[in-house]
Amino acid sequence: MYRPSKAVNPKHYRGRSDMLSPEVKTSEEIGRSSQLSFAQSINAALRQALELDPGVFVCGIGADTPAGIFGTTKGLVDRFGSKRVFDTPIAEAGLTALAAGAANAGLRPVIIHQRLDFMLYSVDQVVNWMAPWRFMSGGRAKMPVTIRAIIGKGWGQGPQHTKSLHTWFAHVPGLQVVMPASPSDAKGLLLSSIMSDDPTLFIEGRSLFSMQEDVPDAPYFIRLGEALVRRAGKDVTLVSMGSMVPIALQAADALSKANIDAEVVDVRCLMPLDIASILTSVKKTGRLVVAEPGWRMYGAAAEIIATVVETLGEMRSRPRRVAWPQSAVPTSSKLEEQFYPTSDDIVAACRASVTES
Amino acid sequence: MAIREPTPVSSSLQTRLELYRTMYLIRRAEEILMAEYHPADQMRCPMHFCVGQEAMPSALARVIRPNDILMSHYRSHGYYLAKGAPLDAMVAEFYGKKTGANLGIAGSMELASHDHHFYSGAIVGGSLFMPFGGAFAQKYRGVDDISVSVIGDGVFDEGITYEIFNLAALHRLPLLIICENNKYAAHTPIEKRQAVAKLAERAQAFGIPFEKHDGNDPVLLLETLERVVPEIRAGKGPRCIEIATYRFCGHVGPGEDEDMGYRSAEELKQWKMRDPVAALRHQLAESMEQRQLEQLESSIDAQVHSAIAAAKRAEWADFNDIVDMNWSGEYASIVEFKSRDVSTFKGSQSEALPGPF
Repeated sequence: MYRPSKAVNPKHYRGRSDMLSPEVKTSEEIGRSSQLSFAQSINAALRQALELDPGVFVCGIGADTPAGIFGTTKGLVDRFGSKRVFDTPIAEAGLTALAAGAANAGLRPVIIHQRLDFMLYSVDQVVNWMAPWRFMSGGRAKMPVTIRAIIGKGWGQGPQHTKSLHTWFAHVPGLQVVMPASPSDAKGLLLSSIMSDDPTLFIEGRSLFSMQEDVPDAPYFIRLGEALVRRAGKDVTLVSMGSMVPIALQAADALSKANIDAEVVDVRCLMPLDIASILTSVKKTGRLVVAEPGWRMYGAAAEIIATVVETLGEMRSRPRRVAWPQSAVPTSSKLEEQFYPTSDDIVAACRASVTES
Repeated sequence: MAIREPTPVSSSLQTRLELYRTMYLIRRAEEILMAEYHPADQMRCPMHFCVGQEAMPSALARVIRPNDILMSHYRSHGYYLAKGAPLDAMVAEFYGKKTGANLGIAGSMELASHDHHFYSGAIVGGSLFMPFGGAFAQKYRGVDDISVSVIGDGVFDEGITYEIFNLAALHRLPLLIICENNKYAAHTPIEKRQAVAKLAERAQAFGIPFEKHDGNDPVLLLETLERVVPEIRAGKGPRCIEIATYRFCGHVGPGEDEDMGYRSAEELKQWKMRDPVAALRHQLAESMEQRQLEQLESSIDAQVHSAIAAAKRAEWADFNDIVDMNWSGEYASIVEFKSRDVSTFKGSQSEALPGPF
């Protein structure tokens, strides 16, 4: 049994408790849609953002090349020209500085890193300048920068192409961290990130890029800081994010065959974090497993579990987390297979959670 | 203020009087603040005084326009006043009060006045790369505003500097880089930091034309700016002006660092004999009545004393308001949130791990 040490101050989470009940949507509201991959959805969001606001520009290493960063920027330079879509030198710090200064002067930059690892050259620009810029101005300034950072996984991406440092950045006041898990979320969340007045790190799992979904053709926005219950269930709350969400859904399917009904909550954003939706679900199930595509120690799973435990009076069983081992990622394909948690690991954690009580 | 015609300014008494007014304001604001700083200890933030370095900000004040961007290193008080930002708000900022330019959040080191497009910051490099991004936005919009970056010789020790030189030249941005070479980065002389102690020459290596001048001659600096700034406005790309100057105070605080051993008393004495404020006053006294100068000076002294008295009386900002300023939570006006869950992604699609590249 877990008891709270102190009530959660909802202000610290910027969650949207007033938005908890999903609005019923009609087909008219969504309009026409098309089957798109995750990569095509990113491309559609960028195209529509460039159409919607003349202050939006897109740059990064390879942004205007025919391959177009895994297809995500393909065709944009032909449509919008090299003033608004351009390649950059291998100068991540300079590129980020360009975005920060331009955003302060009223533009809405989107910068792209083909691997999140590369953006570590720009930590000064992101953490020391963009993040506190509004605060230091006494609430006067805006810093509408979107940083797309792609995480490699598989086929030997190794220690320097695979890091997912979402919690580093979610830790810093002033930043937003978005981790989309599906093509339609990728589009709606990217459009919202670009149109948000706060600096946003938009983390994309490369392993999601070929996944397909019906994606509305028109531009639409998903408010940052709203989780989504992707599968309703009553036995255990399975919270996940980014590239771990499809694996959590596979685990939920497997669990249902064993008569365990998992509720899968996709947090979609780490900051702002919709802690209210997670609490609502755990109050119902009494059990919590968090599956995170990142290192175990000091991670998002740790933060979510700590907050739930602090807040709820009682739980039916100990919370559990499924995350990466506390090790750099090996390149060797055999070792890599053993490194990443699978749906079997999530199934085992959920089963243990349910059988404990 | 409008840009002045490039007339032979050195012969104009009026121009020299205007330069003196700004130089005297900067000098006296610093001197009076220094006297109040300790032991009263009511301005509780590190302050880097610019006594001795008044000539360039005063010259710049005559050519910079309200819409131009100006960002200075942390020795920023002179440039803040040069941009036309209010003295009262600067002093209140040092006292940490709600009437401060940044509600007391920024203090001296991150002093800014967003309404005047004036910024500064504590971390070396920011005053180069933030206005560089501003210059990108100005060129993007096709306006003839410019961005002015004021850096010290210490910036040439940072790696980001060379990314910015390259990108500013590559994009032919309307950026004026003013390098105040006062020979010391904190307490370290330039000879201990650089194998080849050349500064502006490095900008030239990236395609940025440079010139070097005596930084304590305000008339010469004004003539230089009146020649260089219109070229930048005309789209001829970035320029770098390096000036030789000297701070009479120590690195931080009102002392002279006489006990720190990094500079000699003789060197300081030599530079004080070239005091730019005293020199200009001496010139003016030859063509004006002593009484006129004294009137001007006593009216400025009264402004500074009145700013200090007002700052002491002012209230503190509310802590709860302050912590809410880290994020705006706002979006561009075109954004409408309609539906919480566009996503129909409930199934369990397999990951697409990348194949051989």
